[in-house]
Amino acid sequence: MVHNTRNTEGLLGRLWALFVATLTISATANSGYAIIAVMRDDFVNKRKWFTEEEMNDYIAIVQSCPGPMAVTSSMVVGYQSAGFLGSLAAVLGVITPPFAVMVLVSVFYQAIVGNPYVAIFMRGMQMGVVAMLLEVCIGLFLDATKKPGAYPLAIMVLAFLYVRLTGCSIMWLAIGCGVAGAVKALLVGRKVSVAEGVAEKGDADKSGSKGGDAS
Amino acid sequence: MTNMGLLVSVFLAFVRVGAMAFGGAYAAIPLVEQEVVTNAGFMTYDEFVDLLALDEVTPGPILINSATFVGMRVAGVPGAVVATLGCILVPCAVAISLLFLFRRYKETSLVKSIVLTLKCMALALIVSTMLKLGANAIMPDAVKPDLARGAYAAAVMCVAFYLMHWRKIRPLPVMLACGALNVVVTLLGL
Repeated sequence: MVHNTRNTEGLLGRLWALFVATLTISATANSGYAIIAVMRDDFVNKRKWFTEEEMNDYIAIVQSCPGPMAVTSSMVVGYQSAGFLGSLAAVLGVITPPFAVMVLVSVFYQAIVGNPYVAIFMRGMQMGVVAMLLEVCIGLFLDATKKPGAYPLAIMVLAFLYVRLTGCSIMWLAIGCGVAGAVKALLVGRKVSVAEGVAEKGDADKSGSKGGDAS
Repeated sequence: MTNMGLLVSVFLAFVRVGAMAFGGAYAAIPLVEQEVVTNAGFMTYDEFVDLLALDEVTPGPILINSATFVGMRVAGVPGAVVATLGCILVPCAVAISLLFLFRRYKETSLVKSIVLTLKCMALALIVSTMLKLGANAIMPDAVKPDLARGAYAAAVMCVAFYLMHWRKIRPLPVMLACGALNVVVTLLGL
């Protein structure tokens, strides 16, 4: 994943595309998940700036950050598409519509809160968001279970139970998952290097450190 | 409090909210309440409830909406600017740091394993949100369930998914169509 494939589309073109994409979705949906789904559609399916797997990596990173996911995902995707300026364009795009709308709204907000059709429209859009999230989930699931094994499934179930059953902060979940991933890598690395050590009888001078990938 | 001091305290309040807001917009609302109503007294509780209603009916991430609105009410446009910047400061710094670590070490088995685990976590979080939104759309009022309304919502979701997944229609138009359909259905009194 090289982020500066600038010659294919031009830096300005990329910045503009980022700005327009984040602006459009931020102006219509009020969910960070919706923005992820639309970005995935725009940058993976349509423009082919990233592969689906790269996009899933970014989703994993963004989920471990605090704050509005719309902003952090714009930041990450923007950076990967066009460097620092890209993240600036994307974040600017995502905060401009809510900023402009709320400045106006705070001036005459009674009329808006009182209008039932605005709320009905938003409710309807929520149904579309559910369908969109299902798309994202399917992609993430297929990606995370590419290599067979019970580990990804176990983490999914545990994380889901944590979210639904405990009221604890997602911060601890993110930290816990980071630690679990690290421990697993170290355990697998050791197992592989032990196995290689047995097979090659002391000839395993450098192979141990690279062994983790093999499993 | 001088105007400058007011801006600084609005900024710091939203820096704290942004830094602590793990787990999506709805998790952040109690933090905003704590900072804005309880600690700083920028707003009364009634105004805060109005803000929640506004968050629901306006576009954009809820945290940004709240920051802009509170900043605007407290100190006008400069207040809105510092509040908005405040709440994205820490999240952006964390995101870019994690991204750099990821770019640097993504070929190592350690980071591959961590990212795989985080992917599984992300999936769990998204599924949880999806179920919550879906249940809310099908049965908004748990005390008085409405069968026809629930079936309608479920059907809309299925059709929306069909259009996106199999007919490859872009998500944004599908979403807008869902919103428009809901208005039409309500207007016709169905």
